[in-house]
This record gives sequence, structure tokens and C-alpha cells, in this order.
Amino acid sequence: MVAVRANKAHRDERIALVVLMSCSGVFVIAIALILGFLAFNGTRLFWGDHYSPIAFLFGTNWDGFGGSYGAAPFILGSLVATGMAILIGGPLGVAIGVFFSELAPKRVASAFKPAIEVLVGIPSVVYGWLGLTLLVPAIATVFHLPDGDGLLAAGIVLSIMILPTVISLSEDALKVVPNSMREGSAALGATRWETITKVLIPSASSGIAVAVILGIARAIGETLAVQLVLGNAAIIPTSLLQPASALTSEIVMDMGDAPDGSGFKHALFAMAFLLLLISMGLIILIRFALRRRT
Amino acid sequence: MAQLAVATPAVGRLRSSNARSRRIVDRIATAALWIASSLVVLLLLLFIGYEFVRGASAISWHFLTGSPTAGEAGGGIGPLIFNSFYILILTLLFTVPISVCAGMFLQEYAVGGRFKAIVQFSAESLATVPSIVMGLFGLLVFVSAFHWHFTAIGGALTLTLLNLPAMMRVTQEALAGVPATYREASMGLGATKWQTVLKVILPSAIGPLTTGVVLVSGRIFGETAALIYTAGASVSYGRSAYDLNPFHTAETLAVGLYQVHREALVPDVDRIANGSALVLLVMVLVFNVIARVVGRQLTVRFTGKA
Amino acid sequence: MSRSARLAAIALCSVLVPSMAFADTSISAAGSTALQPLVQAAADEYQQKNSDVKISVTGGGSRTGLSLVSSKAVDLGDSDILAPAGSDGLVDHKVAVIGFSVVVNPASGITGLTKKQVQDIFTLKVTNWKDVGGKDQQITVINRPASSGTRAVFMKTLMGDITTLPPTLTEDATGTVVQKVAQTAGAVSYASFSGTHNATGVTEVAIDGAAATEANVMIGKYPFWSYEHIYTNGPPSKDVDKFISFLQDDTAVFKKTGYIQIKDMKVTETNR
Repeated sequence: MVAVRANKAHRDERIALVVLMSCSGVFVIAIALILGFLAFNGTRLFWGDHYSPIAFLFGTNWDGFGGSYGAAPFILGSLVATGMAILIGGPLGVAIGVFFSELAPKRVASAFKPAIEVLVGIPSVVYGWLGLTLLVPAIATVFHLPDGDGLLAAGIVLSIMILPTVISLSEDALKVVPNSMREGSAALGATRWETITKVLIPSASSGIAVAVILGIARAIGETLAVQLVLGNAAIIPTSLLQPASALTSEIVMDMGDAPDGSGFKHALFAMAFLLLLISMGLIILIRFALRRRT
Repeated sequence: MAQLAVATPAVGRLRSSNARSRRIVDRIATAALWIASSLVVLLLLLFIGYEFVRGASAISWHFLTGSPTAGEAGGGIGPLIFNSFYILILTLLFTVPISVCAGMFLQEYAVGGRFKAIVQFSAESLATVPSIVMGLFGLLVFVSAFHWHFTAIGGALTLTLLNLPAMMRVTQEALAGVPATYREASMGLGATKWQTVLKVILPSAIGPLTTGVVLVSGRIFGETAALIYTAGASVSYGRSAYDLNPFHTAETLAVGLYQVHREALVPDVDRIANGSALVLLVMVLVFNVIARVVGRQLTVRFTGKA
Repeated sequence: MSRSARLAAIALCSVLVPSMAFADTSISAAGSTALQPLVQAAADEYQQKNSDVKISVTGGGSRTGLSLVSSKAVDLGDSDILAPAGSDGLVDHKVAVIGFSVVVNPASGITGLTKKQVQDIFTLKVTNWKDVGGKDQQITVINRPASSGTRAVFMKTLMGDITTLPPTLTEDATGTVVQKVAQTAGAVSYASFSGTHNATGVTEVAIDGAAATEANVMIGKYPFWSYEHIYTNGPPSKDVDKFISFLQDDTAVFKKTGYIQIKDMKVTETNR
């Protein structure tokens, strides 16, 4: 009897292993397929329509139906908006994370933690709607412009979107640092600020870096919130207060319009592929660099 | 402790003017952090609170259950809420089994080795794909290549791909939280690895696992970019709008918020948009609360821990 | 009940119940946001009368509609423009006539423009309203995306020989455009009557002395109009044909939404 049950158990074990491994394999197949499909369709503009990659990456004239696919305005727009989001939201998020972890009274911190977590979950379309209806008119009023669309609005909205994530994860990273560090530093005569900047932050640096990376990831890939406040003018932006465009917003606006098989559609896929490469490349590079440091 | 050694020379002597200026810096920095944090957190909450107030006037039983109108004021978002839940459930049906199994494999079985590294790397890479790009992949595969055109199931499968990494991470963390003693005791009693995982470890981890699943569900509920070109962005009218056929198009609430503004074909766009935004915000809150409450209850039930 | 009987019952119910909730016929339409209100209103009424039909309507622009119906992704492609030459297989059903107006924000102080003035404004040769007889207010041009059929009609009927416009602020749907003009001081754009006639906060501009009314379109005095086409890929199926005929004959819906029935037109054009 025991032998029969043991055999069944062993057979179950083997079936389980196959099932689990196949499920894990799904991840590998998925990313391979995604890269494959997007690479194929994304480079079709170059080997199929014989459009020059240089003209695509650096050209400034975008006319979808006219055959001119200079994507520089969008690339620049994406980079500037994301850059602003990181420069504003990154340090600010870490600082507030520090605040909640080290400075705020325990009760205040624990009361706000769930609030911050809710903020992390708010859909981007809601942030976009708020940006469109509150921020853009505010910018128009403050700067005496007829219209407040532009990179400033996009940068601010993106910063606001990544703040809760950066705050929450930085706070978590700092909490993990053992109290002995804080006590030891104080015993050596450091002020609290010095403890924070010279001991705790370096100690939690990998966790904080992850927080900032996730913020960057969200900012680069953000589509809707950006489309609603950028103004969608396919020009090279000369000011933060002019309507501009980004890779994500252009794709979502025109993907439905471009006829199948046209150069226009291929150009949009090329932009999507570029976006994928930037996003993937940036994040994997940073992760790799971090792993080497520790 | 290396950090302390590095910091010590800088900390240095706590004497004379050096000490005073360092204390002043400390006080200024503390004040700055207090001000910045309070301002920002207050602003964020005000932002959200303002939307609550703005959207509150739109909420009514008719708004929540009625259908959108074709050009007149007074439409509702009933079918959109239905579609959001429908696609959420479809997505979970695919995502949860695959991620949990993969998480179990990585956490319990694969100890080292190349396959584990490849899977881990694939999951991390999958997590870097922007949602619009994933939506385009869905467009290429489900809408075009499979000739399904805009379908709820196409949207669900795309969302599955988008959320697999997050769900797997949730599983791994939940499983990691189970004490090693459980595994050792179970194996000591002669159970196979699979029996251990299925009957001992998984039940102990079910609390954090459920919390994680519900939180990810909250994010799925609000997803837009990946659905616009897979599940579609078109409204249907009348009773047939509540449709369980997964091979028909399905506009969710989040997509609907974007579209109602974009098309602006009804005179009360702002009312509908604010109302939709409010419902989305409330749903995020609800998902958060449920995640915590249910998670805690399950942990008590299955492990006896409070 | 025995175990297998229970299982059989569950299986039967899980198949029957959802299938009862499936609509039997599904018709999808996409394309012009100028035609969308008419199609939506007709679809709403049609579904009240035929509850086994599910009609879903979306926008995206005329060219989107044409591209989607060509690839058979939707059944009906709504378009403000004729399908390009070489779209074999697409069958044109002219369903209505629609007028479009150039709309301005009231801060401009303008009620009428000549065609030449419109051209100068949109090519950015004129940048202040005072140069065309209005108030001292900077002009903000809002254009439609290249895929918009409305834009194609605008170019064909008002822009003369000009083929490209400089890039400006762009908004893509009828409703959004009108909202933006209302909110932005000194803004100007163009959209269909269905979006502009009842809009608050914008002024419809007379072109070359002709006011933007249905009457002026019908007698050909007002130039900015087009036929609305619904394209099907091949001859329409019975259900689709029923719906299209319903739409064409539903005078009440036309009156409610501000479109013009083709039979009321006193002039005809062959290239719209």
C-alpha cells in the first residue's frame, strides 16, 4: 500500500515539475516573441521601405501621410519629459522617503503609509485627466499664455505620478537599515542629517536605486497622461511652454489611423521598437551597473 | 559597518565652530525636509480630494448602471464598469496560474543554474516593456495575426503579459516569507517536494499572496494604453452592451474616460469624465482595503498567526 | 443526484447561461468623428427596436475607418472623404451630407472671414486677429491630424492650392477640438456642424459672406461641406444592409443631430 502511494507521489512530483517549468518557460517565450515581433515590424521601415535610419532618428520633419518620417521631435520630447520627471520626482521622492523613515513621528508615518500606497495605484488616465483640467489651465494663467499644453505640464504630471512609488520604496529601503547603524553613528557624534546623508543613504543605496529605476520605467512608458497635456504638435520644442509631442503620445494618437502596410504604420512601429529598446536598455543597464557595484 | 568607517573621518571632532555649523546644517535640513514633505503630501492629497469633490455630483444610481447616450446628456457608465470587471477576471484567469507556478518553481525548486537565471532575466525584461508597446504587440498578434480584431480576450491576454512579472514577484515574496522550518518539518515527515509546496507552503503564504493579487488587480482595473488597440475603444448601446462574449469588443471604464474626452460627442463630457475618474479612484481604494483585510484574515485562518 | 448527474448539470448551465447573454449579431462601425453622432444615434434607436443586435461605434478619423474596413476589422467604415483610388472591394453608401464650420473663440471678435483670410491664418501668415478685422488677440491655430477626413475636406474646399500646413497644436476629435477652442482665448479651428451648432463658447464663422447653416449648404452658397460615406467591404450582409437603410431613412434622427439628408440637397458634387 505504502509503495503504491509513494509511486503516485513520485509521478505527481514529476508532473508538477513539468507544469512548473512550462509556466516559467512562458516568460522566456513571451519576451522572445515580443522582441521578435517588434524588431521585425519596427525595422521594416528600413529594410522594407528603404527609409534611412539616420533620417528617421535625426530628421525633424514628420508628415505621416506625406512620406517624411523624421522622429527627432518625438524622441526629444520623450527624453525631456522623462528627464524632468526624474530630476524633479527622483530627489524629491527620496527626500520624502527619508522624511517618513527618519524624521516623522511614528504615528504620522504609519498613518500616511497606506495613503501613499493608494496613490501608487491610481491609474495614469486619472492623473492625465487631472493634469488636463487643473494643471494646464493653471500654467496658462501663471505664464499668461492662451494654452498651457507643453513639456512643463508633462514633466510635472510625470513627476507627480512617480513620486508615490519613489517615496514608498525609498522609505522601505531605509527601514531595512539596522538601527545599530543609526546608534553607532550618533555615538560617534554625528548630527542626524550627517547620519542620513553619510551613513543611511549609502547603506540603502541599492533599494533607493531600485525605487528611482521603477520611477524612470514608469515615466518613459507613460502614454495617456502625457498625451492629454502635451499638445501633440510634431515640432522640435524650443520652450517648455510650447505644445510638443513624445514617442508614446504620437503612437497612441496615430496608430489607429495609419493604413496597414503603409510607410506611416511602419514608422510608428519603428518608434515603438525604439521606445522598447530605450526602456529595456536603460533599465537593464542600470541594474547591471548596480549589481557590479555591490 | 563599512559605511560607518567611511563616515567617521567626516564626522570628526565635535568641537568649536565646526560643531556649531554642522548643527545649523542639521537644523536647516530637517526644517527643509519637514516643509517639503508636508507640502508635497498635502498637495497630492488635495489633488485627489479635489477630484472626489468634482466627481461626486455626477454619481447616481442611473450613472453607475445606465448606458452611455448617443449625443445627449445624462449618459451612464454601467457597461464600462461591467467590461472593466470582465476583462479583469479574464486576465486573472490567465495570469494567476502561470505566475504562481513560475514563482513556485523559481522559489522552491530551481536552486541555481542557468534555467533559473534565464527565467529571472526574462521576467525582469518583460517588466520593462512599456504598456503601449505591449498593446502594440497585442495588436500585431491577437488583432491582426489571429484575425480576432478587437476582442475582450485579446485585451485580457495582453494584460496578462503585462502583469506576469508583477504577479510572479508577488508569489516569490509570499513564498519567501514562509519560515524554512515548515519545509524542513514537512520533508522530515516524508512528504515529497510537491506535496510540501502544495499542502504546506502555499497555504501558509496565501495571505500575502492574496494581498499581492488584489493589489495587482487594482492596477489591471486602471490599465488603458494596452487595451485601446486590443480590446477596442468603442461604445455599444442598449441591453446588448452587457455582453459576455469574449470575442466581442469591450471598452473598459479607464479607456472610456480617455475616449469620452477625446471624442467629446456628448454635451456633459466633464460630468461623465469626473464621475468616471471618481469611480476609478474609489475602486483603487476598495482594492487596497480588500487586499489588506482579506490578506490578514487568510493569514489568521491558515497559519493561526494574528 | 448522483455525482455525474450533478457535473453534467453544471456543465450544461455553464454553457447555456453565458450563451443566452451573447448577442446574436454584432455590427461594428468606426471612422469619422463628424459622422459618429449620426451613426451612434441611429445605432441606439436600432438596438432599442432589435435587442438581438449589438452595434458598437467608435471614432478614430475617416482614414482610420477606411483602413479598418479594408482589413475587415470593422463592418462599417465611416468617412467624410471618398476612399482613395485602388480600394478594391469597398462599396460606398452615401448616407448624408454634413456641413463644417470654422469656429473661433469669442475673444477674437470675428464673425466672418474670406477664404483667403482663412488660408493666411492656417498657414501662419497672419498671427493676430486685428489683421483680419478683429480684436488685438494672438491667434492660436488648432489643426486636425493628417488622418482626419474633416481636415481633408477643409483642405479641398477652403485651402485652394495649398497642400501642406505648418505643424501647430493638434487635437484629433470633433468634440475635443470644439472644447479646446472654447477654452483657449483667440483659438481657431474647424469641425462639423454636429459638433459646432450647439456648442457654447465658440462662434461659427461665415465664409465669404455665407453663414454656416444647413440652408446655405443645401443651395450651395456655403462651400465647406461633404457627403458622408459608409463603406462596407464588399456588398453588405443582410443585417448590415438593414441597419444602413434604417439610418438613411430615419428623418427624426437627422433632424435631432443636424445632418442633411441627401434628398434635400439642391446641388451635387462628384468629387466629395
